[in-house]
Amino acid sequence: MTRLWNRLKPFRTRILLLLAVIGPGIITANVDNDAGGITTYSVAGARYGYSLLWMLVLVTLALIIVQEMSARLGVVTGKGLAALIRERLGVRWTTIIIGILLIANLANTVSEFAGIAASMEIFGVSKYISVPIAAIAVWFLIVKGSYKSVERVFLVASVIYLAYVISGFMANPPWAAVLKETLTPTFKLESGYVALFITVIGTTIAPWMQFYQQSAIADKGISVSVLPYERLDVIIGCFFTDIVAAFIMIGCAATIYAHNLPIESAADAARALAPLAGPFATVLFALGLLNASVFSAAILPLSTAYAVCEAFGWESAVNRNLREAPIFFGIYTALIVLGALIILLPIKSLIDAMLASQTLNGVLLPIILIVMLRLINDKRLMGKYVNGRIFNIISWAMVIVLIFLTGVLVVTSTFPGLLS
Amino acid sequence: MAYLSELLGKPVADIDGNKIGTITDVIASPRADALHPQIAAIAVKRKGVDFLIPYADIAVLVAPAVPVSKRIADIIQYQVSESDLYLARDVLDKQIIDTNGMRVVRVNDLDLARVNNAFYIANLDIGSMGLLRRLGLASVASKVAVKLGRPLSSGVIAWHDTELLPGDQPMRLKVASDKITDLHPADLAEIISDLSRSESSKFLESLDIKTVADALEEVEPEYQASLVEGMTDEKVADVLEEMSPDAAADLLAELPEERSEDLLNLMQHEDARDVRELLTYAVDSAGGLMTTEYVAVRPDLTAAQVMEVLRETANEAETIFYVYVTEADERLVGVFSLQNLVLAKPDRRVNDFMHHRIVTVMLEDTQDEVAQVVAKYNLLAVPVVDEQHRMHGIVTADDALDKIIPTAWKKRIPKLYR
Repeated sequence: MTRLWNRLKPFRTRILLLLAVIGPGIITANVDNDAGGITTYSVAGARYGYSLLWMLVLVTLALIIVQEMSARLGVVTGKGLAALIRERLGVRWTTIIIGILLIANLANTVSEFAGIAASMEIFGVSKYISVPIAAIAVWFLIVKGSYKSVERVFLVASVIYLAYVISGFMANPPWAAVLKETLTPTFKLESGYVALFITVIGTTIAPWMQFYQQSAIADKGISVSVLPYERLDVIIGCFFTDIVAAFIMIGCAATIYAHNLPIESAADAARALAPLAGPFATVLFALGLLNASVFSAAILPLSTAYAVCEAFGWESAVNRNLREAPIFFGIYTALIVLGALIILLPIKSLIDAMLASQTLNGVLLPIILIVMLRLINDKRLMGKYVNGRIFNIISWAMVIVLIFLTGVLVVTSTFPGLLS
Repeated sequence: MAYLSELLGKPVADIDGNKIGTITDVIASPRADALHPQIAAIAVKRKGVDFLIPYADIAVLVAPAVPVSKRIADIIQYQVSESDLYLARDVLDKQIIDTNGMRVVRVNDLDLARVNNAFYIANLDIGSMGLLRRLGLASVASKVAVKLGRPLSSGVIAWHDTELLPGDQPMRLKVASDKITDLHPADLAEIISDLSRSESSKFLESLDIKTVADALEEVEPEYQASLVEGMTDEKVADVLEEMSPDAAADLLAELPEERSEDLLNLMQHEDARDVRELLTYAVDSAGGLMTTEYVAVRPDLTAAQVMEVLRETANEAETIFYVYVTEADERLVGVFSLQNLVLAKPDRRVNDFMHHRIVTVMLEDTQDEVAQVVAKYNLLAVPVVDEQHRMHGIVTADDALDKIIPTAWKKRIPKLYR
């Protein structure tokens, strides 16, 4: 027995190394399925059936590429993305990028509060009650700093996502057709479709993810020698999150699209879980959405505040009180307050609000990518870990496609029917 | 007064009016006879390559277009030496240590001062004005501020109050200057906790063993362990020998067992033995809190002889304020203070002026009980004994009390999302 154990030693060491390194990639990817994510994938499946699945495969590959780059930057330099941009590209670029990040993260925070409002509406609680309470609760969560335990609760509760996978199977979709659609690209040149296209990209590869993951990695002090394990962490995380995304799409396609039902509210989206949970589908959905929204509503303002202070050299005290770190404190408080306030305005559709914020992510993503590509190709910074040629070609292709899509979106929204 | 940010990007022309390129960097040379480095050359981008023009060849540095007093062909490029600084590449936008304010800040701009036809680095601008100036908004901002009646703070620190981080410069010597090593260990710990993981490892590497040991003692054991993770075993063993045994024991308790064993084997025999003894006690007992570095003498010595002993051993002891009196078998029989010793006549025996009633704690007493004893009897340190009244070590007041008082002051691991 001991002989066998000893012979497994190299394998054991590898597993231990993997476990030590694992974390940033998986957590980031999990948080990716936030209110905006769940809504986007639900709407994609409900409005267009299985026809966007092929695109999800490509988006997953793109996500892995982007997150791997951000992980590599974090491991090799030991610094966060905001600090790197400041040190390598100067104050002007930093201001532009941080400005973009603030806008995008505010929109995303709004989307999280929309998720909280929508999920509580399923329980019959008006948004004018649930949102302020949630905002205060989230604020206290950050200030009192019990983030670590919350993270654990969130990750455990993320098991709810598996309900989508199970429900997807129980809904008995025509698997042959599903597979066919996954492998056959289709495209429609109408503004609603293009918008959703960009939205799916934006919700899967949100700008805040690059900043958050790189900070988490730099913080952990992962050394270059275990870079392969960190890559594995990233790939596993992206894979898992997009499997869930795919099943959300399939679930909605099989239940809502198949029966030509509308998707106007969160309760409608909950139908996707009906095969599994029957009459409890709405409750299950609401809990999942609430869990994702609350946690993300805490993470986004916090990580934004860190990025801003890191970039401009302002104090970001761990104690986070007003006196020691006024700007840090001000930023996350402002994001929470604004996010909650905007949702409290009379908005026709919470779903549209969530979608709009993710579309914004997609529009702003190319700029972040361009900056990352500049950094990761800097030989002085990355040494031998610069991008290879193929990597660069794929990455630049992504940027061009994204900018092209945004252009198409602008054209089709301003001149509907021009291209059809 | 010139700002580095205003110099960068300016076009440079030679004496015939031909454009050479644009300024991409300014090179400064530290001088032995001046606190502030002197500008030695400028780097001009020419056909994609940096062309280094010595300062002596520049006619006017602060001008919308910088004229050079020679023809391009006649310029002999500046030879960069190891200690030279590229201001834009190595200092601008980077983090530095403010040794006056004991914190880590980011450089927004550099002030260059002109003295006798030469330029020197005067101050580093770390405040908002520097940021606004870089964005071209400085004049607007100051007008707005004046209108509001609140002038913007400028936030500058003098060059000699700063220290560059050892991390990013490949050409500079990786040894910390006196400015850093003279700082109080608690302040060093403060600075270290402001740095990122990789930067703090590089920073510690630039310090000498004694300074590292002192700084490490000011952070919580868990943080200590993460800081020494990247160090070689030999260096950690040296640091452990420099630390007081109780602190070393605390650190070793946080490390994985295998590494702990390796380190103990690398340490000098006596130091390792002391630490091993301390490791056998529970972390929160008197045995776990105590240090073995105390002064003990025999009862038959005279006051003068005790003074001799102190002169020889004072460096090794945690405190010499109390001197303990033990018999040959380590049994504690008395104690006296430095005050008692100084006031006693040189030929009096210790037995005559020592206190016979001694306040002690047992090895297994909890930290609460130890703290109460220290507080009740107003002690600076309390001896730890076993059932046979043999002395094993002392617990100093700061160690006893800081387990009770929340140790918020002691630096903890600066994790982002705690």
